Amino acid sequence: MKQKIRIYHLYPDAMNLYGDLGNIITLVKRCQWRDILAEVINVHIDDKTDFSDADLVFLGGGQDRGQRTIAQDLSNRKEVIKKEIDKGMVALTICGGFQLFGQYFQTAEGDRIPGIEIFDAYTLAGKKRLIGNVIVDIAHTSTEWQTELNFPTFESAHTTLVGFENHSGQTILGPKCKPLGYVIRGFGNKGDGGYEGGVYKNAFGTYLHGSLLPKNPWLADHLILMALFRRYGSVQKLQALDDTIEINAHNAATIRSKTAKTVSI
Amino acid sequence: MRKFLAVLVARIVRKTSRATGQGSGSTLPGLLAEKIDPNIISKLARKFPKGIVLITGTNGKTTTAKMLAAILNKAGHKVVYNFAGSNLSRGISSLLTEHANFWGTKIKGQMGIFEVDEATLPEIAAKIPPRYILVTNLFRDQLDRYGELDKTAAIIGSALQASPNAQILLNADDPLVASLVKYNKNVKYFGIEDKISTKSKRAIDSKDCLKCGHELKYSPRYFGHLGIYKCSKCNFVRPKPQYFLSDLKLEIGSSEACFNRKDEKQKISVQIPGLYNIYNALAAASIASEVDIPINQISYALNNVSAAFGRMEKIPVGNKNIFILLVKNPTGFTQGIETLSYDRKLKNLLMILNDNFADGTDISWIWDVEAEIIKDIIGSVIVSGIRAEDLLLRLKYAEFNLNKITLEKDLAKALDRGLGNIKDGETLYILPTYTAMLEIRRLLKNRGLVKGLME
Repeated sequence: MKQKIRIYHLYPDAMNLYGDLGNIITLVKRCQWRDILAEVINVHIDDKTDFSDADLVFLGGGQDRGQRTIAQDLSNRKEVIKKEIDKGMVALTICGGFQLFGQYFQTAEGDRIPGIEIFDAYTLAGKKRLIGNVIVDIAHTSTEWQTELNFPTFESAHTTLVGFENHSGQTILGPKCKPLGYVIRGFGNKGDGGYEGGVYKNAFGTYLHGSLLPKNPWLADHLILMALFRRYGSVQKLQALDDTIEINAHNAATIRSKTAKTVSI
Repeated sequence: MRKFLAVLVARIVRKTSRATGQGSGSTLPGLLAEKIDPNIISKLARKFPKGIVLITGTNGKTTTAKMLAAILNKAGHKVVYNFAGSNLSRGISSLLTEHANFWGTKIKGQMGIFEVDEATLPEIAAKIPPRYILVTNLFRDQLDRYGELDKTAAIIGSALQASPNAQILLNADDPLVASLVKYNKNVKYFGIEDKISTKSKRAIDSKDCLKCGHELKYSPRYFGHLGIYKCSKCNFVRPKPQYFLSDLKLEIGSSEACFNRKDEKQKISVQIPGLYNIYNALAAASIASEVDIPINQISYALNNVSAAFGRMEKIPVGNKNIFILLVKNPTGFTQGIETLSYDRKLKNLLMILNDNFADGTDISWIWDVEAEIIKDIIGSVIVSGIRAEDLLLRLKYAEFNLNKITLEKDLAKALDRGLGNIKDGETLYILPTYTAMLEIRRLLKNRGLVKGLME
């Protein structure tokens, strides 16, 4: 029988700011090329949605208006999403999505916009916008992502992520949230070049656009594997794909991030 | 007295800088003129009998300005208009001092037409003040530079609010642009009323209602988030335009439509293809109507306008053709591709992606381009530019036939290869980002195929 995963794309209209759709395209194609069916279900405000049947949820970044619009609807779904994440549902959240999956966002005026508390993390409005190419080292952090499987989900050679950040919020992690990785080049969560993103169980948060997954296929495959594991309870290694073009783009972005300027305005 | 001195100094500097070949004299004279008389722009701007129009928005500023200038020229009105690249304050003061008479008491032109970047609109509008402000559309463009689209709209809004005496012309089909009426009620709208709809599946930029956040329903959607929309929940709805196009006929080389105003209608045809250029023609015709240009003169002039620099520009190379189509953002790129697929002949492409400051340093937007639209009519593709590898990756995930794609980072070689891919009589379609277009232009100039780097 053909295997499948079910992807819930949360608020694809309000929350698709910087090519976030590229992440969905990548998940779908990399499944298709392996004869795995990837169903994508778009979730809008007020939609009735059963998260117990979702293997992977994706939430991109939005403009302030988009984020304000969906914040209430998302908080209505807080308990169900939390419950499923604790049961192994995979999540990828980018930028504004990452912030909303944290505890709260504190505006410059001191108001707190509540998040859904998946990540033990909070975000403070920053004065500067942090913009530029990023390289993140995941060599150490990623060893903790695959404890349930008896094989590594990606090769040790693939231990960086590349992308592009553009945020003013500064996200501080608490003890129950591990960073996604450590910044080699770029600003990262707090703008200090320290750590980047956040991980709780199979939920990932990051500021990396680019789009993130096309140039980091090992992370895409890790998410697909964990989604299959969530659905079937056991999983085989994924069939290898020819990733020459992906790796070339990853390497070119790495080189570019060393020559292109980053700005904070 | 100050005004006289400002005009005089600007004139001397312009002559010197042109004579010595130090520069084109397009900004320094204005810079100095403004230093001597900070009010020089408003003093000279007042001299235009038909006033000044400011054109802003993401796409179409240059082409709209060019079309409007052509219409007014054909109708016998001399105009002063700025070229791309000099749309900052000092560029405008340079231009005004250049066209002023010796004493600065008169200006040699009936109307001033200025394209203005969204971000500089408040500053320019405060200095001028304009008789008309036209907003073409708002798409995501170089987001890393201007922040977010809503903020851009708010910046434009502040300029509209500060110009109570200006006649505002807004694109009714763009919900974000149409909603700018909240800043200034003195608005007329332009739009398209036709049944044509896009092959593209996504309205990526502004699909949620600005009032209540629910989904906007389109019937039909023309491209991007442009179309006849209404909110699925509240009373937000596309306003009825005073100026509109109907009976559209779009082909790969040209477009036709019927321009409607008050009790008149007239067929127009535009030799620059693409739905967005028909929008530009509509915008130009709307302002021309505001200054009482007869409808048949509008039609006649529009038929003879050629493409602005790099915007669907056609250049012969021996017995072959090059067609340059500047791509700046996902909607423009998708629309360009859609225009190329109006006929089903195989197309040979050279796509160039740079990530310099003027292109936007974040290239994530290529993942919002619906490259899939053209994948079945591809003869060959060359990808080039600083981020050629990313472009290739995008095409792989759009399921292009990889055997038809070549990656060539060196642009001169890429151009040669592209021309080598086509036979006599065929066309190489070049889709460059902004700085890549300048590079292509330089290559063509060095080969004697185009005259100047700018128009």
